Amino acid sequence: MSEVRCLNCLKRFEVQSNAKEATCPNCKTKYRISWPTPTQAKIRGPA
Amino acid sequence: MVWNRKIAYINLSTRKIIRKPVPKTMRQLYLGGRGIDMYLLYNHVKPKIDPLSPENVLFIGAGLLGGIPCLGAGRCDVAAKSPVTGGVGDSNVGGFFGAELRFAGFDHLVVTGKSKKTVYIWVQDGEIEVRDAADLWGKDTVETQTAIRQNHGDEDIKSLVIGVAGENLVRFANVRTGMKNSGGRTGMGCVMGSKNLKAVAARGTMNLEFAKPEKLLDYCKEMNDMIISTRWARAQSRWGTMIIFSNTNTTGLIRTKNFQLNLLEDGQDLEPENIDRYSIGTAGCYGCVVHCRHRYVLKDGPYAPFFDEGPEYTSLGAFGTMVNVKKLETVLAANHLVNKYGLDTLETGGLIAWAMELYEKGIINDKMTGGLKLNWGNEEALFELIHQIAMREGFGNVLANGFRDAIAKIGKGSGYYAIQVKGMSNLHSDERPTPSFALGIATATRGSDHLRSRPAVDMYGLPEEFLQELYGGPVSSDYTSYDGKSRMIWWQERLYAVTDSIGICKFQTVFCAVHAPKWNEFSKLIQLATGMKFSKSQLMQIGERIYTLERMFNLREGFTRKDDKLPERYFKEPTPLGLPIAKGKKIDRKKFEIMLDEYYALHGWSKNGVPTKKALVKLGLDKEPTHMI
Amino acid sequence: MQKILFIDPEKCTGCRICETACSMHHEKVCNPARARIHIAKWETAGLYIPVVCLHCETPICETVCPVRAIKRNEKTGAVIIDYNLCVGCRLCVLYCPFAGAGIDPLTGKVLKCDLCDGDPVCVRFCEPKALQYVKATRANTMKMRKAAEKFSELMQKLLAP
Repeated sequence: MSEVRCLNCLKRFEVQSNAKEATCPNCKTKYRISWPTPTQAKIRGPA
Repeated sequence: MVWNRKIAYINLSTRKIIRKPVPKTMRQLYLGGRGIDMYLLYNHVKPKIDPLSPENVLFIGAGLLGGIPCLGAGRCDVAAKSPVTGGVGDSNVGGFFGAELRFAGFDHLVVTGKSKKTVYIWVQDGEIEVRDAADLWGKDTVETQTAIRQNHGDEDIKSLVIGVAGENLVRFANVRTGMKNSGGRTGMGCVMGSKNLKAVAARGTMNLEFAKPEKLLDYCKEMNDMIISTRWARAQSRWGTMIIFSNTNTTGLIRTKNFQLNLLEDGQDLEPENIDRYSIGTAGCYGCVVHCRHRYVLKDGPYAPFFDEGPEYTSLGAFGTMVNVKKLETVLAANHLVNKYGLDTLETGGLIAWAMELYEKGIINDKMTGGLKLNWGNEEALFELIHQIAMREGFGNVLANGFRDAIAKIGKGSGYYAIQVKGMSNLHSDERPTPSFALGIATATRGSDHLRSRPAVDMYGLPEEFLQELYGGPVSSDYTSYDGKSRMIWWQERLYAVTDSIGICKFQTVFCAVHAPKWNEFSKLIQLATGMKFSKSQLMQIGERIYTLERMFNLREGFTRKDDKLPERYFKEPTPLGLPIAKGKKIDRKKFEIMLDEYYALHGWSKNGVPTKKALVKLGLDKEPTHMI
Repeated sequence: MQKILFIDPEKCTGCRICETACSMHHEKVCNPARARIHIAKWETAGLYIPVVCLHCETPICETVCPVRAIKRNEKTGAVIIDYNLCVGCRLCVLYCPFAGAGIDPLTGKVLKCDLCDGDPVCVRFCEPKALQYVKATRANTMKMRKAAEKFSELMQKLLAP
């Protein structure tokens, strides 16, 4: 698990380990995810 | 002691060299690096001179903390009157040159006059020589460094060099050291070229002595741990500054097709993760644990084979989004080419993107471009135009003089499409959704500039109580708001001025990471290294002094409030794409002017942006120029 | 079991923090030219190799030292110069095939890594972990896993349909 900050509503949300995609539960924006370290997720681009 | 390195005055016309210690008063008022360079700039450059004349002066200054093993503390500041803007010329470069200059016994070099023959300056263990550079002239920026090392038989020599672009007096030619590090902005390479100065090479084995070496060493470790514990630094150490692209291109904050769109659709190939295809590992500057650049090899394809470092986020825009190129390989190859020529990647890309929009609009045609089809994404034309700019051939010769001259020459309303301030190109960032960033590029002393004040932490929507504490006053947590953003810019300006003066990397202070070293940590580092005590507010005042002196230099050159402006398009054209937070945004003219008023007031400047007598007295600037050094 | 200084050049980013920290620790000044460790760089090829005393099992420096000033510290495993005995003939510098010993440009004395009495400052500062001070078994395991990874990639390629 790791947190990312939604680029649209700026709220943090949790991403499942190794997930390739995630959706912000607050504003429903969908992102592709990548992992700079095994425990740190980051938004890669729009899904 | 570490603050007692020498300053050398080198007259290239007469070949006279004078060496003096840097007085402690200078350290107390301006620290070193950019701070002392700005004092020298204001004091040694006479008003209204031609930046390309022998009367212009080149300043090279290492930071006060240069050499310590943390926070990338090996940076070097290069200054002169800018051939791009006609105002403050100043560029801060990483790598290893700044530290080596100190080991060679010098903190500041003041280069005046103009040499008849092509030369380079050789600095070694307290000695300085001006040497013939006939065999270096015509070489690219990497070949030049290699040749200097071979000539002296020492692989550990570090040099600050210009490429062919600097020799040809391309206005935005840069100075370079190592494979990748560039003093990119404001045309310092052009000033070197105008003096027939190809390089400054340094090698030293002299001690840097500290007030409290053992405690300093432990604290350096603490500083490195502090920066690398931030999420930002960890991500950056993996993919470099390219990681910014993920956020900006997803949100809609990235100039595309010059300024027509605010994100690159189908731009997946430019995502930072793809550098892994070419990377053989990362590289760090002197004293840096973040190592934000890749060493990459392009093995196959039309541009292969070659080795280079980077690319910076800047190049992803300059030779990617802005010119509508969607292939990382092309960006890597263009990055390599401008590096070899010694061209500022940002200015080069900004001008080419502008030319492409003019071509699309029919403002320039095949006749003017000499047959170059400047269509969006035309790679062949992109590379040809880079060659032409560096060699000052064909249409490239029009662009080689920078935005001001090119707009005057092309006419026909072409200026409207130019995304520049004070004659200098903007980064490929689109500031329409972010008023704080917009104010920053409008007011920056060296033209459209993201490195004078950009408050990147504005993007995080941090709690307002936290922002109030950090910035010392009310700041809105909404990055699309105008409220309190002038305060943010004012605070960041002072922080970056101090950071550049102690020779630390901006990525290792509050740029993109909130919990990074700042005033109190800098204060402790300076004390352990030099024994000099500065409180947080004293450091902030030094930042204010440096920034105000830069302002005074620009005012003396004729700049006014009218020059603190944005390109008209920021007010007229709303952003067409992006996430809801960034879409349909433009800058509100009235709110922008209010923000500018607030910004001047915070500095203690008049409505016209002129420092008041009271403000000058408070900073001890009322008698400048004082010619202390 | 004794620890060894384990060098992984592939991880080195060339920042030279090790050199600076080494000189500050030993000489109380910042001067990479007086450090016991150096990064040899081939900048135009992107190659960075940390060069430091390897504390050999059969140290050539110990063999050639005419005054027997070089001995092993059994606790840390470091091959150390006893400066009370050293006459500064620099035979150790001349004969070491790994450039593990150098000359101080200011004093003329021989500079050689002493593993900082078992807590090497360069290792402490090396963020990318190109330098590690680990037990010999651990060093073996690390090398083994790295080799096996390459082998596993190869196997996967062979087994791929």
